[in-house]
Amino acid sequence: MATDTLKSSTAGAGGLRRVLLDNGALSALVVLVIAMSLLSGDFLTTQNLLNVGVQAAVTAILAFGVTFVIVSAGIDLSVGSVAALSATVLAWAATSEGVPVWIAVILAVVTGIACGFVNGALISYGKLPPFIATLAMLSVGRGLSLVISQGSPIPFPQSVSRIGDTLGGWLPVPVLVMVVMGLITALILGRTFIGRSMFAIGGNEEAARLSGLRVKRQKVVIYALSGLFAAVAGIVLASRLTSAQPQAAQGYELDAIAAVVIGGASLSGGVGKASGTFIGALILAVLRNGLNLLSVSAFWQQVVIGVVIALAVLLDTVRRKAGATPTAAGATSGPGGSKGRQAAQYVIAAVVAAAIIGGISLWNNGSSGKSTKLGLSVSTLNNPFFVQMKAGAQAEAKKEGVKLTVTDAQNDASQQANQLQNFTSEGMSSVIVNPVDSDAVGPAVRGANKADIPVVAADRGVNKAKTATLVASDNVAGGRQAAKTLADKLGGTGKIVILQGTAGTSASRERGQGFAEGIKAYPGIKVVAKQPADFDRTKGLDVMTNMLQANAGVDGVFAENDEMALGAIKALGSKAGKSVAVVGFDGTPDGLKAVEAGTLYASVAQQPKELGRIAVQNAVRAAKDKKVAEMVKVPVKVVTSKNVASFK
Amino acid sequence: MSNPEERQAQESAGPPEELLRIEGIRKTFPGVVALDSVDFDLRRGEVHVLLGENGAGKSTLIKMLSGAYRPDAGRIVVDGRETRIHGAQDAERLGIATIYQEFNLVPDLTVAENIFLGRQPRRLGMIDRKRMEADAEELLRRVGLTVSPRTRVRELGIARLQMVEIAKALSLDARVLIMDEPTAVLTSEEVDKLFGIVRALREDGVGVVFITHHLEEIAALGDRVTVIRDGKSVGQVPASTPEAELVRLMVGRSIEQQYPRERPELNTTDAPLLRVEGLTRDGVFHDVHFEVRAGEVVGIAGLVGAGRTEVVRAVFGADPYDKGTVEVAGARLPRHDVNAAMAAGVGLVPEDRKGQGLLLDASVEENLGLVTLRSATRAGLVDRRSQRVAAARMAEQLGVRMAGLGQHVRTLSGGNQQKVVIGKWLLADIKVLILDEPTRGIDVGAKVEIYQLVNELTAAGHAVLMISSDLPEVLGMSDRVLVMAQGRIAGELAAGEATQDSVMALAVSTAASPATTPVHNEVEGSRGH
Repeated sequence: MATDTLKSSTAGAGGLRRVLLDNGALSALVVLVIAMSLLSGDFLTTQNLLNVGVQAAVTAILAFGVTFVIVSAGIDLSVGSVAALSATVLAWAATSEGVPVWIAVILAVVTGIACGFVNGALISYGKLPPFIATLAMLSVGRGLSLVISQGSPIPFPQSVSRIGDTLGGWLPVPVLVMVVMGLITALILGRTFIGRSMFAIGGNEEAARLSGLRVKRQKVVIYALSGLFAAVAGIVLASRLTSAQPQAAQGYELDAIAAVVIGGASLSGGVGKASGTFIGALILAVLRNGLNLLSVSAFWQQVVIGVVIALAVLLDTVRRKAGATPTAAGATSGPGGSKGRQAAQYVIAAVVAAAIIGGISLWNNGSSGKSTKLGLSVSTLNNPFFVQMKAGAQAEAKKEGVKLTVTDAQNDASQQANQLQNFTSEGMSSVIVNPVDSDAVGPAVRGANKADIPVVAADRGVNKAKTATLVASDNVAGGRQAAKTLADKLGGTGKIVILQGTAGTSASRERGQGFAEGIKAYPGIKVVAKQPADFDRTKGLDVMTNMLQANAGVDGVFAENDEMALGAIKALGSKAGKSVAVVGFDGTPDGLKAVEAGTLYASVAQQPKELGRIAVQNAVRAAKDKKVAEMVKVPVKVVTSKNVASFK
Repeated sequence: MSNPEERQAQESAGPPEELLRIEGIRKTFPGVVALDSVDFDLRRGEVHVLLGENGAGKSTLIKMLSGAYRPDAGRIVVDGRETRIHGAQDAERLGIATIYQEFNLVPDLTVAENIFLGRQPRRLGMIDRKRMEADAEELLRRVGLTVSPRTRVRELGIARLQMVEIAKALSLDARVLIMDEPTAVLTSEEVDKLFGIVRALREDGVGVVFITHHLEEIAALGDRVTVIRDGKSVGQVPASTPEAELVRLMVGRSIEQQYPRERPELNTTDAPLLRVEGLTRDGVFHDVHFEVRAGEVVGIAGLVGAGRTEVVRAVFGADPYDKGTVEVAGARLPRHDVNAAMAAGVGLVPEDRKGQGLLLDASVEENLGLVTLRSATRAGLVDRRSQRVAAARMAEQLGVRMAGLGQHVRTLSGGNQQKVVIGKWLLADIKVLILDEPTRGIDVGAKVEIYQLVNELTAAGHAVLMISSDLPEVLGMSDRVLVMAQGRIAGELAAGEATQDSVMALAVSTAASPATTPVHNEVEGSRGH
């Protein structure tokens, strides 16, 4: 169906067909937009298209910066970290240190440029391969933003957060920033000395040097530009969330690189365009947005995204192989006249496309489904706890006979904001959010508030926005109970270590806080070490192994979740459950098995299925405008070998 | 001295066995007819020269035989049977081996591994190194290469790489050996050696397709010549055909003079434009000194590895040096600073055109504007209109044959590529142009055009310093010839007194005895007349 439409809409305009044939990424985007429009009535609405724009903005701005680097035959893996670092610097300076906001903004931009400068200097003068230099910066940037923020998100100053808002009530500022940065990129690439040098250096570095270009110096400038763009992207990202997250923009460098390559740039350098990169970023955003609207399973979404990235680039390669020949290359970009004709074709194509899309989008005023539709945005599905919560929610939805769309935010606050935005424009009856971060989710929830869609918070609260109810187990209380259980087991004396969760997450903060409060009652217990293992089993194993090297005589371990506890048990080997008592948190199936086997002394069990179930119940009630309690506490229980049977 | 007809008559009683026949081959690429009705045939034990200007279709033809391209029309007959060659495997099975100008060797593998790449003898699933190396040794003996099969290919010079390629072809039991300009990068000694090997192969009954731009090699080695022009075979003549006739067939017109040097009147009292003194880089070149005056062409001859390229790169500032001075118009240039050299009016056309001279996937316009990019920049913005106008003017002036300024230089012929490299310097108003192997791999017609350019430059009062391994070119175009040997200037000869013999004698002289008088009995230049 999609291809039929494409044919009929292009057959009339020969110019449009030409443009599409000449540009693989653009045709991929058009196909994608048509397919999404046909598959979901909610896709082609003005609001949703603006959403796509906002959702593309951060990736696009990062990708513009990376375009400079890739055109000059380099690579920049550090942009995601640098974006987070710049935003953190801004928020820290303005909020924590009280520096005037405009100086804080300059500081943030300077931070980005400085990171890029260091990259460039390492590559030009230190002769490091770009991959390695920027990989190092990826780690340094992330680390520094954690250091500066102490691992916690910092509120973004109000005046800068307006960048995340809309202009005149409808035009989102991130879209505006993206367009401006795109035009600047096009100008730099096409018209400036440094831009033309990028193509020369990427095309043949030695030839460029022997033609008098100061290649080393220019490379430094190129990477600094990339850092500058990363800083801008970081500021836009943090404004949308009104909070600077030290863990923001993880993995965005790969999205940015993908956008650049989808846009037709070559990783071996010398080729690349601002317009191509822009289209590449749009393809990724349309895809994520459309898959949300289509309620594609969160797991399958990643598969689809990967396949589309490969297809988009494949399409371009095939097209080039088939069409691009010596004379064709010469003819299409020949002198004067044909260049003007080509430009005219582009304009015609753009106008036709805009007219079609605009027309349909006005006609489409969102879906008018009457049945109850719920949206659930889960912070991550990489963790059995949330998978169970999702299962409980789905089971309840089935029972109630409502449609439930589940999305996975992959622990990324801005992806979650996108998903909530999509739920809102889709006209969900009610939305359940399991926040990645309580502060960062605020603006998106406020958007739902504005659209009169009730929001249920699950597991973690939402700050600075209205929620119908909060369904949560009490992490702080759970931490206290864990402290008591472990201390009692050790008889009130002993040395213990703590495996912390991902720095900056609320679960880690609250559980850690509860545990610290609880353990104070036992002066005989000494916490000899405390290290983060990111809620991850493998890291739990590694970190525990390292800590055992330094602290041989440990009597007890508190892990802020079961996964890390299981890793610690692996590290302890035969000592686990015998000479060392391990207490975990969450009561996941694997955790309970370990409790049964005796290697895990206790786990503070939340009841994720129950949590999901209650969240859906409340969401349905809220959708029907029935009264719901402001707070529903899902009980937390300490599971030991004595009562484990009743939890299975 | 034997001419081909005689030799054939002596060697075989019956007609020599035909290995390969091509009839009416046609190949088009979208928008271009690369080949249009080409006929060609190859017999056992002959060297059949393929002659034609760059872009005439020689490469397309041999790619058809090696399986890289498929013909649109026409027949390929091998051993009397019509065949299709659909890839390297097919070619290998038919006993056709091709040695391209760019070698297909893996630098970090050993000689033996390269020869048997993909076909390593195996025992119990493991590579049988002993046997592989013994076999390789035998093959190396046949091509007269005295290196250990365990040497890494990276350590070999270009001539030896070629020998390894030939050994690889022999290991495939090739009956048809296609050689694409094998002599382009060799010194005359190495060429002699190569000819010896090719002759031996011919004795063994191998049919050799030989592509060269050096006309003098045709009579020395070839049996028959097929001339290709604009994608058509325009004639098949014996190798003894006079050069002037070959040139006429090849370019479709006769070329009056191969080396049209017009020597301007030199005012010897003028200060030199370029003065190099005591230039030394330890272990590479020593105490190099010379001068180039306005209006003069100074040639640098010598064997490959004598340090010629290294010296001019140091003069241009592309590489550092340890001692000595470089002066342009009396002002001393800072060491290792390309921009200072450029500012003083020095330009370099590097030896490796594709690797160092061009942005292959950029347009003619971009390549021509590369050197002037900075001077065309105002407040960070490049004046692309003036750049385009200048590029168009230069392309017109140089007669660059292209579809348009937007054409990628990768798709230009070698001669036109070289014009673009030279053109970017002409746009920059240079005073001293250094040409490193300016006509390597360029056909006769384009060569003459480049020589004309050199004439125009010197007539305008500029100076040209030219490295060339093509002795007739150095002798024909230079006003003075510097000969380098082992990193030193072994001697200097005036245009009048320089001969191939005198140059070669200096080129092989040892550093210990820098000969200033020609020694005639050591080596004979084998190229040219």
